Amino acid sequence: MKPANQIIGMFLRSGIGVLTAIVVGGATLSFAQESVSVRATLMTGGVPVDDPNAAAWSSAPPATFPMSPQVHWQNRIQEVTVKDVIVRALHDGKQVAVLVEYADPTQDPDDAAALEFMVGDKKAHFAHGQPMLQVEGGPVNIWFWKNKAGKAVDMNAKGFGTLKSQEHQDVKAKAVYSNGTWKVVFSRDLATGHADEDVQITPGQFINIAFAVWDGRKDGAGDLVEKGSQKAVSSWWYFRADAPPDYSGYMYAAIAAALALGFQFVLIRKLKKGQSA
Amino acid sequence: MGALGKPIILMVGMYAFLKFVLPNIPGSAPLPSSLIFLYLLLTASGIVIFETLSGESKDAFWGPIQRFLTGENIGGLQALRYGVFILFPLLVGWQTYGSTAVSDLPPTESRTIHPAPPGEYTGLSNPVPKTPENIMQGKGFYAAYCSPCHGGNFDGKGPAARGYIPAPANFADPTTIAMLQESYLFWRIKKGGVGLPIEGAPWKSAMPRWEVELPDEWIWKIIMGEYDGAHQSPRTWE
Repeated sequence: MKPANQIIGMFLRSGIGVLTAIVVGGATLSFAQESVSVRATLMTGGVPVDDPNAAAWSSAPPATFPMSPQVHWQNRIQEVTVKDVIVRALHDGKQVAVLVEYADPTQDPDDAAALEFMVGDKKAHFAHGQPMLQVEGGPVNIWFWKNKAGKAVDMNAKGFGTLKSQEHQDVKAKAVYSNGTWKVVFSRDLATGHADEDVQITPGQFINIAFAVWDGRKDGAGDLVEKGSQKAVSSWWYFRADAPPDYSGYMYAAIAAALALGFQFVLIRKLKKGQSA
Repeated sequence: MGALGKPIILMVGMYAFLKFVLPNIPGSAPLPSSLIFLYLLLTASGIVIFETLSGESKDAFWGPIQRFLTGENIGGLQALRYGVFILFPLLVGWQTYGSTAVSDLPPTESRTIHPAPPGEYTGLSNPVPKTPENIMQGKGFYAAYCSPCHGGNFDGKGPAARGYIPAPANFADPTTIAMLQESYLFWRIKKGGVGLPIEGAPWKSAMPRWEVELPDEWIWKIIMGEYDGAHQSPRTWE
């Protein structure tokens, strides 16, 4: 007969496998996800950089983020028009496009929207990369669109009052207004040659993103209500471009299942031999 | 299968206890799955040791298992035996897939809500006399500068609060200003979000750096108004 401790060992190992499967499986089923990140869906055949209404956008899951009046900097505002932005994103491995959608009752020449990213590895304050007192912060990269300009500006800031346009303009924007809703598409190559100024988007990696919107309406005296730092802003959220599909998980699972199957055969054969001996 | 009945009941009972009973005992909390797994493993080892103490009990314990696995004289259980042989590799494969799959969740960032203040902001006492006039003036400043985010009711639910993560502090909550000293509030109001140390994630906080806009005396009055309005008292050493 087979040494008993060897068989016990085999039996224990198979038991551990089953137990682990039950416990781990049970744990992963109980996850619930909130809208905390924008997921840029991988697509083929060119991203719709010029068409906010392209059919391809329906394949990108929408994420909704709440907006607040900007209060951090002293030229603050107490109330803003835009309360939420709905964000979708697509990429094709080369270019990325981000669609920002929000309700604005009137179309004005000074309507504007912007995306903000951290640049490099240093953390940056969500309010224009304001200097922090105990932490050395980095710059922010701002992609800014204004209705009357009809294009995007690629900018950097390291605190309020330091905003400046880049030498290399890599960002495009295209917007359409209908039924009280703005749809603005920002687009750029995932990577640029200027890592000290531009956010670099590596598929599969989470980066930080924030949003700003200006309603270009005017008050009774003909002055702009929302301008400069008087705008709607969001906190930092996450952004990730989908990595190319990775099937290695299925491969590992198949190998593990085959090993378990083989183990069963060996175990039973040994047990049968032990019985007949 | 008599010798196997008790161990199976024991394992199932143990799992049910750890998963459903223990978390409901007052003062307890749900156990992480890794801990449940460890406890079940210990239970299983205990059963195996106990059942193999004597040759007699060992045969009574292993005999049915061996017969089941080899399929000799088990009659109607044959179908169950094949079921186990199919299910076991599938479970192993499923578990392997689950443990190697890339997570769709963003990285978790821990943030210390009340990090230690710099040395010069510990132990300061409020230099403004606590008179009804000063408290009222403090509440007036609070209404003008703080209430848009921290709320007219001191509950952190001001009209400007909705988009900010971390959410503005709720002063009526006993875990905020009630467990802090006035000195600490003075630091947080004066230096704002950008004054936090790295463990406080300063890049996320919308709290203005009020030292740029308000004199110290106003800040001390605001602190008084906050405690009074939120019906809380500062923490003291007594």
